[in-house]
Amino acid sequence: MKEFNIVLTGVGGQGILLAAEILGTAALKEGLNVRVSEIHGMAQRGGAVVSNVRIGENVLASTFLDGKADVLLGFEPLETLRSVNLASEKTTVIMSDERITPTELTAKKMEYPSLKEIINKICSFTKNIIIVEAAKLAKEAGNILTENVVLIGALAATKKMPVKDESIIEALKELVPTKHLDTNIKAFKLGYEYVQKYKPKL
Amino acid sequence: MPDSRLLLQDAPNKRALLLGNEAIARGILEAGISVVTTYPGTPASEIADSISEIAAEAGVYMEYSINEMVAVEVAAATANCGVRSLSAMKHVGLNVAADALVTLAYMGVKGGCVIVTADDPECYSSQNEQDNRFYALLANLPCLEPSNAQEAKDMTVSAVEISEKLELPVLLRTMTRVSHTRGPVIYGKLTKPNLKGEFVRDIKRMNLVPANSRPMHTVLLKKAEKAKELSETLQYNTIIRKSKSGKLGVISASAAFNYAIEAIDALDLDASVLKLGMTHPLPEKLIGAFLKKHKKIVVVEELEPYLEMQVKAIAKDYAPNVKIYGKMSTPYFPRDGELSTRTVVVGLAKITRRKLPINFEEIDKKYAEVLKDLPRRPPILCAGCPHRASFYVIKKATDGKAVYPNDIGCYALGFAPPLSIGDGFLCMGSSVSMAQGINKVTGKDTIGIIGDSTFFHAAIPGLINAVYNNHKITLAVLDNQTTAMTGHQPHPGTGVTGMGVPTEKVLIEKVAEGCGVKYVRVVNPFKVKEATAVLKEALQHSGPSVVVFRSPCALMVVRDRRRKGAKIMVCKITEECTNCMACIKLLGCPALVLVDGKAGINEALCIGCGLCASVCPYQAIKCEEIG
Ligand code: SF4
Ligand code: SF4
Repeated sequence: MKEFNIVLTGVGGQGILLAAEILGTAALKEGLNVRVSEIHGMAQRGGAVVSNVRIGENVLASTFLDGKADVLLGFEPLETLRSVNLASEKTTVIMSDERITPTELTAKKMEYPSLKEIINKICSFTKNIIIVEAAKLAKEAGNILTENVVLIGALAATKKMPVKDESIIEALKELVPTKHLDTNIKAFKLGYEYVQKYKPKL
Repeated sequence: MPDSRLLLQDAPNKRALLLGNEAIARGILEAGISVVTTYPGTPASEIADSISEIAAEAGVYMEYSINEMVAVEVAAATANCGVRSLSAMKHVGLNVAADALVTLAYMGVKGGCVIVTADDPECYSSQNEQDNRFYALLANLPCLEPSNAQEAKDMTVSAVEISEKLELPVLLRTMTRVSHTRGPVIYGKLTKPNLKGEFVRDIKRMNLVPANSRPMHTVLLKKAEKAKELSETLQYNTIIRKSKSGKLGVISASAAFNYAIEAIDALDLDASVLKLGMTHPLPEKLIGAFLKKHKKIVVVEELEPYLEMQVKAIAKDYAPNVKIYGKMSTPYFPRDGELSTRTVVVGLAKITRRKLPINFEEIDKKYAEVLKDLPRRPPILCAGCPHRASFYVIKKATDGKAVYPNDIGCYALGFAPPLSIGDGFLCMGSSVSMAQGINKVTGKDTIGIIGDSTFFHAAIPGLINAVYNNHKITLAVLDNQTTAMTGHQPHPGTGVTGMGVPTEKVLIEKVAEGCGVKYVRVVNPFKVKEATAVLKEALQHSGPSVVVFRSPCALMVVRDRRRKGAKIMVCKITEECTNCMACIKLLGCPALVLVDGKAGINEALCIGCGLCASVCPYQAIKCEEIG
């Protein structure tokens, strides 16, 4: 495998960096070369957050070229759209439908654009889109903060990742505090099963 | 990394996925570095933060120093007692420490001394994009530049060795994409730290009065010569690839090297690559020989043409006919902003007259369509942030008519509407001094705004200046009891050290009084009425005044409550709401949202600070605890 690129995108505080670390750790467990980019500082104050996970022998840089994403893992619809330049018709988009209103919209008394509009725009890059009710599933797992792990479960179920499900679970066990582990495993499963049963509603 | 203790594993050859900064922390432990000092700054923070969590167990002494200059001075002293030391900071932090650094090069060191500077191209969390390799040139210091996490660890160990060999401090220059990228790191052996040093009086070397400085400058230049020899054979300066035709050679370093290799592959170029890990002093002979072997040379580097300038100078002596491409004269790569594989692909394609492997234009065109009407999402003050309350009070007390120089920290975000408080900042501590200048020539009410950690870092001399010269300014210290911006490190006002030991709490109000300020008050920003009255009074005071707005950072409050399993308060909008939108218009809290054209509160974000409740003219917001 030359390279496998995932971009995770969302809003500060959604657990994106942890999700990226889990994916990177899973790859490392299988002896693969990996790069995980994180940007800290201002980005965590409710701003947009993007992390790249790159797997493959020849991977050196922490970011990758436009159009080269294999998977776009979107934690928030508008932010998914913001990273769509990394996608091409080969990219699979896995996106949470949970919206977080940018204060700019509130201030201008504008409503958040409809999910349909957003999906239409993504479609100009790729038609492989899976919408996950991540917030609902996270609540069902017992903690709204496990949205990130729901999405990891969804990603695993697509079988796109070049690593085994078990390695991802192992990484999860290593990186999530023990007292939250059960909830997180449940979140992973809920995301996984959701995609297995998924029927596109586009 | 969930647990920094994993860095302590005595497991040579173990492969771990580490952030560049964590890798440096591991390097500290492998090198037997025994003293670590820092002032927190993104993107350098995690180096010392990782050490902070394990220092006691590892037998390392670490401190969050009051500022970078003090951090370097402490490390310079311990290293001069023979103890291996490291001081870490962000790029602009080195400006603060520069006074000490340049002369420390003359003085030299006995034990290894490493100064880490983390640059921030693209200003992800900084006020400028300065290229700190020039500090190595300016001070005549060896400079190592890792390109990934593995090298970040290895070079930390090498830096100590080189430092001891040359008796010179060594700069380790990283940048955001190295510090904040995770990659595999193979562990080496741990070295037991040794905190026991000895001070040997050495006046000629250490007492840098002019008579001693002059000869020490000569000594430094001799050491620099030795450093140059070392650079020629150092394993980090090496030819990674050899081209078959010998036409094209690429010289690169740091994160730019990664982009260069991937771009060469994307364009399928036959190119030799010289990778430089020690970028000061440069291996002149190695570079000279490389230049001779090729017809075209491309220098790929981020920010300033630091390498290109020197490579061109070397070419004059070694290969005057070789063509050198980079960003001087004809710019093939940008000199501002962050480099990327794309910018390098585009530049290299132009130089070699190749077709681009990807139709960027088409992607850009489609993407521009998407970006149209896409609302931005810049960082903002968190829901429930006490600074929001302070800004609201400041605005209310002054009717928005004063001038508000502010400073470096979360509160720099207060300039954004609707609060719109904050008229600019220059560097740490500039609020208090700039306020004096502005008041002097405009006569307007001037309120300098500064955070608690920044106050200790750089405001005290400025405050003394205000007292001594009787400047009529007000300093609002937004004290959220932590260094929030960089990851909640402690400082002198928190009463705990970097080693986690309780310590003397230095009170800002006492410091201000000690500086001679006659009007000093402490308020709770969420008690809007009281705080507003106090600030108004402060503005009436004839000399400098200080108002400390004290309330803990919202992120800490939430974390604390979660840890204790306590309930989180949430506010709700009741039927009394007339939809006047006062809360939304005045505060800009991200938890205040529009739902079907009505003001609403996002439960997941609200932490029940109650500020919106106190702002609502109809008392339509009620706060209650939820499970
Ligand atoms: S981190 Fe703390 S100080 Fe910074 S914006 Fe958030 S609540 Fe305010
Ligand atoms: S109480 Fe009001 S101002 Fe405070 S966090 Fe909740 S919505 Fe924001």
